[in-house]
Amino acid sequence: MVNSNLFPSIEATGGESSTESRRKKPRISETEAEIEARRINEESLKRWKTNRVQQIYASKLVEALRRVRQRSTNEPDKVVSVAAREIRETADRVLAASAKGTTRWSRAILASRVRAKLKKHKKAAKKSAGNCKSRKAAATETNRIKLPAVDRKLKFLGRLVPGCRKVSVPNLLDEATDYIAALEMQVRAMEALAELLTAAAPRTTLTGP
Amino acid sequence: MLEGLVSQESLSLNSMDMSVLERLKWVQQQQQQLQQVVSQSSNNSPELLHQILQFHGSNNDELLQGSFSQFQMIGSGFGPNYNMGYGPQHEAMDGCISRTSSCQMEPVDTMEVLLKNGTKEDRPISLKNKRKQEVKTREEENTEKKIKVEADTESSMKGKSNMRNREASSETSKETLKGVSEIPKLDYIHVRARRGQATDRHSLAERARREKISKKMKYLQDIVPGCNKVTGKAGMLDEIINYVQCLQRQVEFLSMKLAVLNPDLELAVEDVSVKQFQAYFTNVVGSSKHSIMVDVPLFPLDHQGSLDLSAINPNQTTSIEAPSASWESQSQSLYNTSSLGFQY
Repeated sequence: MVNSNLFPSIEATGGESSTESRRKKPRISETEAEIEARRINEESLKRWKTNRVQQIYASKLVEALRRVRQRSTNEPDKVVSVAAREIRETADRVLAASAKGTTRWSRAILASRVRAKLKKHKKAAKKSAGNCKSRKAAATETNRIKLPAVDRKLKFLGRLVPGCRKVSVPNLLDEATDYIAALEMQVRAMEALAELLTAAAPRTTLTGP
Repeated sequence: MLEGLVSQESLSLNSMDMSVLERLKWVQQQQQQLQQVVSQSSNNSPELLHQILQFHGSNNDELLQGSFSQFQMIGSGFGPNYNMGYGPQHEAMDGCISRTSSCQMEPVDTMEVLLKNGTKEDRPISLKNKRKQEVKTREEENTEKKIKVEADTESSMKGKSNMRNREASSETSKETLKGVSEIPKLDYIHVRARRGQATDRHSLAERARREKISKKMKYLQDIVPGCNKVTGKAGMLDEIINYVQCLQRQVEFLSMKLAVLNPDLELAVEDVSVKQFQAYFTNVVGSSKHSIMVDVPLFPLDHQGSLDLSAINPNQTTSIEAPSASWESQSQSLYNTSSLGFQY
């Protein structure tokens, strides 16, 4: 069964690798594990592109937004920025939930909410946290050897992707790939939702005073 | 009779280099000498002659494989190179042959080799026809790490002491070996060492790691628009970081937009259905430029905002080939409008 699954994918995607290996000097030959890994990667990227996934995400997002709306009706005086932040966090959480826990960044997003709530309760421990930060800052100041450009950028990328600061380089690249695909889907879904709302809503609410 | 065969060989070898021809002729001469020796010595001449004639009449590749096998006597894991003989690799092979021809061979060794080669003969013929499948099946059998192979073969090669110039020949053959060997007894993945590159354990491990990373960068390159134009890891990483930041900014902006529209969410509850979403998704082509441009006129335009938009709009419509640059300008302009428009 494995063979039958492998061969069509090899002909489709491995065809280019075989021609490449013949054109150039012989490279490291592909093993079954690598072919599998490539297929898995492509499949995992495609899972964010299907319409079905988008629909699921959109419907979940609508539900979540409605819940947020209900919760925030208790406090009517909210600045748009705060509301926007809430909505963004909701959207991220829904996105992470639809990732079904296979990726590191999704787990980090889902865990961050719990961590934020814990931090609220632990305000007494602020002093120790402050000391830690100052110690870290001092250490980096003294050990300031400028890393090569590529490493600096990799670190920066690790900070952008949630939960991937101390992750190895190949894993970081994997996470970044999945995260980018997920973000693209999120943007598409939110755009569609916004368009839907602007089309459905009466125009008078937009043209303000 | 042998001269006739030799001429046959020379005709078939017209496409190859002179070094190969010389090499083959030398091999044939060796075989002639051997044949004479053999016919004098034993009564098994018909068998040997048969083998030698088979050896003659066989294809170029097998001859060369035979000559290679002379150097690969070394032991358990090695056999003739079955992957030699792909068309475009002939040049590489010629180089190999010229290198191996520098090693000297005793007639005794050749005799041993020929005898051994005779037994292995049917394998080259059968394998040549199913090379690809062989490679695939072999690859499927090999499941362990690449590095172990090289270490093991190194140790096995260094442990033997059969032939003259063993170390020199082993090094050259190792470097010139492009191949995956026979179906090994152990489950190892064989690495194709590049010509002239080090084959020690550390550099192999590093090379494997680098290949992994570059492969993943290629995936990212496919997904991030505008990454094809930049070469080198640093540039690509720049583009990737830029793209991720853009996407995150877009999400923030859209969430702000939805925050404004949220009161309408309850009003539009009945309209929100799966089918409508589907319609919107198909309309929204991969890039979000068009949809954002549609929304822009709906925003309350202040004087400053409108000027910005009118300046940037034509640029957005025309610039399709510079997505990375337009992401920036687009999102900045939209932030301008949002900050101006939402000040209630």
